[in-house]
Amino acid sequence: MMARELTLLIPEIAVLLTAVGALIAEMLRRPRVALGVATLGLLIATGLTIPMIGTDTTVFGGTVRIDSLSIWAKLILLPATVLSLLLARNDIGGTVREGTVYSLMCLATFGALVLAAAGDTMFLVLGTLLASLATFALVAYRATDPATEAAMKFFVFASVAGAVMIFGLSYWFGATGSTLLSDLARVEAMPLAGVLGLVAVLVGLGYKASLVPFHFWAPDAYEGAPLSVAAYLSVVPKVGALFALTQVVRDLPVDSGWPAVIAGLAVLSMTYGYLAALVQDNVIRLLAYSSIAQSGYFLLGIVAVGSSELALPSIILFAGAYAAMNLGAFAVTAVTGRTLNDFTGLGRARPMLGIAMVIFLLSLVGIPPLAGFVGKFLLFAAAIDVQLTWLAVVAIINSVLSLGVYLRIIVPMYRGGEAASVAVGKWPGVVVLTAFAATFIIGLAAQFFLMTPML
Amino acid sequence: MLPLVSLTLFLPLAGALLIVCLPQPTARTVHGIGIGTAALTLVGALTMWLEGLNGAGFSQVEELEWMPAIGAAYRVGVDGISLPLVLLSAVMFLVALIYASSLRERPRAYVALVLLLETTAIGTFTALDGILFYVFFEVSLVSMYFMIAGWGHEDRQRAALMFFLYTLLGSLPLLLAILGLYLGSPEPSFDMRAWIADPPLAGAAAMWALIAMLITFAVKIPAVPLHTWLPAAHVQAPTVGSVILAAIMLKFGTYGLVRFALQMTPDAFREAGTVVLVFGVVSAIYGAFAALAQSDLKRLVAYTSINHMGYVIVGVAVAALTLDPSVRAIALDGAVLQMFSHGLVTGALFLLVGMIQERAHSREMGELGGLLKTVPVLGWLFMLAAFASLGLPALAHFPAEFQIFLATLRTVPAAVVVVLGIAIIAGTFLKAIRETFLGETKQQWHGMPDLSGRELLAVVPLLVLTVATGVAPAWVLDVIHRTTVALAL
Repeated sequence: MMARELTLLIPEIAVLLTAVGALIAEMLRRPRVALGVATLGLLIATGLTIPMIGTDTTVFGGTVRIDSLSIWAKLILLPATVLSLLLARNDIGGTVREGTVYSLMCLATFGALVLAAAGDTMFLVLGTLLASLATFALVAYRATDPATEAAMKFFVFASVAGAVMIFGLSYWFGATGSTLLSDLARVEAMPLAGVLGLVAVLVGLGYKASLVPFHFWAPDAYEGAPLSVAAYLSVVPKVGALFALTQVVRDLPVDSGWPAVIAGLAVLSMTYGYLAALVQDNVIRLLAYSSIAQSGYFLLGIVAVGSSELALPSIILFAGAYAAMNLGAFAVTAVTGRTLNDFTGLGRARPMLGIAMVIFLLSLVGIPPLAGFVGKFLLFAAAIDVQLTWLAVVAIINSVLSLGVYLRIIVPMYRGGEAASVAVGKWPGVVVLTAFAATFIIGLAAQFFLMTPML
Repeated sequence: MLPLVSLTLFLPLAGALLIVCLPQPTARTVHGIGIGTAALTLVGALTMWLEGLNGAGFSQVEELEWMPAIGAAYRVGVDGISLPLVLLSAVMFLVALIYASSLRERPRAYVALVLLLETTAIGTFTALDGILFYVFFEVSLVSMYFMIAGWGHEDRQRAALMFFLYTLLGSLPLLLAILGLYLGSPEPSFDMRAWIADPPLAGAAAMWALIAMLITFAVKIPAVPLHTWLPAAHVQAPTVGSVILAAIMLKFGTYGLVRFALQMTPDAFREAGTVVLVFGVVSAIYGAFAALAQSDLKRLVAYTSINHMGYVIVGVAVAALTLDPSVRAIALDGAVLQMFSHGLVTGALFLLVGMIQERAHSREMGELGGLLKTVPVLGWLFMLAAFASLGLPALAHFPAEFQIFLATLRTVPAAVVVVLGIAIIAGTFLKAIRETFLGETKQQWHGMPDLSGRELLAVVPLLVLTVATGVAPAWVLDVIHRTTVALAL
C-alpha cells in the first residue's frame, strides 16, 4: 500500500532530494555543483513524471491527487524552474551563498507542486506556506534596501493572506466535518459557511496567483528581487496556486455561485493589470502587471471547470504557453536592462534577440499561431461554452489593450539608430532559445496537451 | 499525387526561412531567392488553376489532423471563389518582388516579410478550417505592420500603429464568431465546409455572429465609416506594401464577407441585407467623392479602392437579398470578378504611382504636370490603368461592375444610385491624368528617365491580364460561375 503511494510520488520526492542536495553542495561552498545538482535533479524529476501521463488517482486517502492537473503541473513547472535556475546563475552567479538560491527555488517549486496536487484543504495551506517561505528569502537575497522592503511587504501580505485562508477554511471544516476537497459538496447545507470558506480560499490562493485585489505585493517584490527570482515568481508559484484553485472549484457545487465571483475577479485582474501596465516605464514592473492580467485569463478556464470539457485542457495548455513566453520575455530583459529605454534599437543591434522578444510579446497578446493564441483561444471557448460570452468579450477587449502594453516595448525596438550592442550571456541565451522553441511548439502541437485524458 | 495546394501555400514560407538562415547573403542573392520562390509559387498556382474544380464545392482538398480533440485540422482547398484570388496573389507577389528587386535597405528582412505575407495570403484564401483561417488572417496583419513600420515613409510609425490597432481590434470579433460557430455545431468542429453545408447558428445567435463578422470584415474591406486607417496606411507604406495591401489584403475582407458572413449565416445576412447594402452604397459613393478631393496621387488611388470595394459589398448584399438563384449567381460573379480585377488594376496603379514618386520624390499632383512628354511609357501605362479603374469597357472592371449593377437593378432598383460612383471616379482620374501628365512639362522634370526593364516587367503583366480579363472575362468567370451558380443559401 505504502509502496504504491510512494511510487506515485517519486517526482515530488526527487524534487525534495534535489533541494537537499543543492543545499549540501552550497554548504560545501560548491555553488556550481549546487546548480548542476538542482538542474539535473529537476530534469530527472520531469523525466520520472512522463510515464505517469494519463494516471488519474489519489494517494494518502484522497489528500493528494495524481491527475492531469498535478502531472502537467510537474511537466510545466519543473522545466520552468530549470530555466529560472539558469537565469539565476547569470543574475547572482559569484555572489556569496549563491547555492541557497538554487536550493530555495527547488523548495518553492515543491510547494507549488503540492498546491497543484492538493486534494485536501490542509495541503492548500501547506503548499502555500512552503512556496511562500522559500520565496521571501529569494526576494530578500540581494539585501539592499529595495530588496528588504520588497521582501517585508511580501512577507506581511503573505502572512495576513495565509491567516485569513486558514481561518476561513475552518468554516468549511466545520460545515463538512472533513478537510477533504472531495467532501465539499456537503457544504451546500450551510451556504454561509460555504461563502466564507470560498472567500478565504480566494484570498489565500489569489495572493499567490497575484489576482486583483490581492496583487499589491507583486510589482514591488518583482522589482526588488533579482530578475531571475521575479521571472520565477511570475510563473511557478502562480501556476501552482491557479491549479490549486482549479482543484478546489472542481468539487464546489456550481450553484453555490462561485463562477460569478471568479468571473468578477477575472475582469478585475485583466483590466486593472493591463491598465496599470500601460503607464510603467520599468520593464520589470510592466511585466509584473502583465502577469497579473495574465492570471485573469486563467480564470476564464477556471470559471468553466466542471461544466465544460474545454476547461481543464485550456488551463493546462495556457499554463505551458504562459510559462514559456513569460520566462522568455524575462530572459530577454535580463540581457537588455530594466527600463524601456534599454530596448531602443534592440531590433537593429541584435536582430535575433529582437525577433525572439517580439515573438514572446505577441504570444502574450495572443497572436496566432503562437502558444499564447491557442491557450487563450481555448480559454475563450471554455468561457463561451458555459454561457459567459460577455466574459470572453471583456477578455478580448483586454487583449487589444494588452497590445498597447506590449507595443510599448516592441515599437522602440525598431526605432532609433545606435543601440549599444549588448552581449548575450550563455545562460540567458539558452533560456531565450528554449522558450522561443516552446512558444512555437506549444502553439503548433497543442494536440499533445489535448490528447491526455482529462478529468 | 502531390499536395499541390500545400506546396503552393508553404513555398514562400520556405523561401523566407532560407533567406533568414543564409549567413550574410548579398542583396542580389536575397532578391534572386525571393523572385525565384515567388515564380515557383506562381507555377504552383497555375497548376492549381489548370487542375481546376470538380463540381461546385471545394476541390483539391488536403487534410491533416492537427487538434482532433477539438475538431480542428489542417484543411485547405479551393472553390470558384477562392481559386481566382489564389492566382491573383501568386501574380501580385511575383511582380511586387520584381519591382522591389532594386531595394538595398535591409533587403533580407524585407523579402522575407513579403514572402511570409504571400504564405498568409494564399493561406487565408485556401484555409477550410476556422482556426487555420484566423491564424493566416492575423499573421498577415503582423507582417504588414512590420513592413509599414520598417520601410514606410515619413510618418510610418504612427500609420503602422494605427493600422495594427484598427485591424486587430477589428479581427477579434471574428474570433468570437468562429467560437460561436464552433460551439453551435452539432458535432464540435472547425471544419468550414460543415459550417457552410449546414449553418450551425440560427436566430439571435446567428445575428450576433453576423454582426461580429461584419465588424471584422468592414474594417478590413474597408467600408465607411471604418475606413480611416486605409489612407494613412497606404500613404506611409512602401510601394510594395501598398500594392499588397490594396491588391490582396483588402480582399481578405470581401472574401470573408462571402465565405463567412454570406455562407455561414445566410438567414441572418438576408435579414440584415438591406443594412449591408446601404453601407456598400455609402462606401462606394463616399470613396469616389473623397478620391475626387485628393491632391496626393497615392491617397487618390487609396480612396478609389474604397469605392471599388463598395461595389463588392453591394454585390454580396444583393446576392443575399435576391430570391432568384440566377440573379444571385450574377451578383456573386460580379463581386468575385471585381475582387480579381481590383487586385490587378489597383496593384498596377500603386506600382505606377510608386515609380512616379521614386523619380519626382513627390506625389502631389500640383507639383507634377506634363510628365507624358518626359516619361511617355509610364504615362500611357498609367492612363491605361486609370481607364481600367474607372470602368471602361474592354478593361477588367467593366464586366465585374456591369454584372453587379445588373443584379442590383433586378433586386433593389433604388440601390442603382451607386452607379453615380462611376461618373465621379471617371472625373477623378481624368483630373489626375490632366494634372500629372498633360500640359506643359515643368523645368525640373526634364530628363526624368522612363521605365526601366525591371519596372516594365513588374507592371506590364498586370495590364496584360487587365485587358485579357476585360476583353474575354470568360476565362475567370467560368471558374467563378461553377461555384456561384450552385450556391444554395
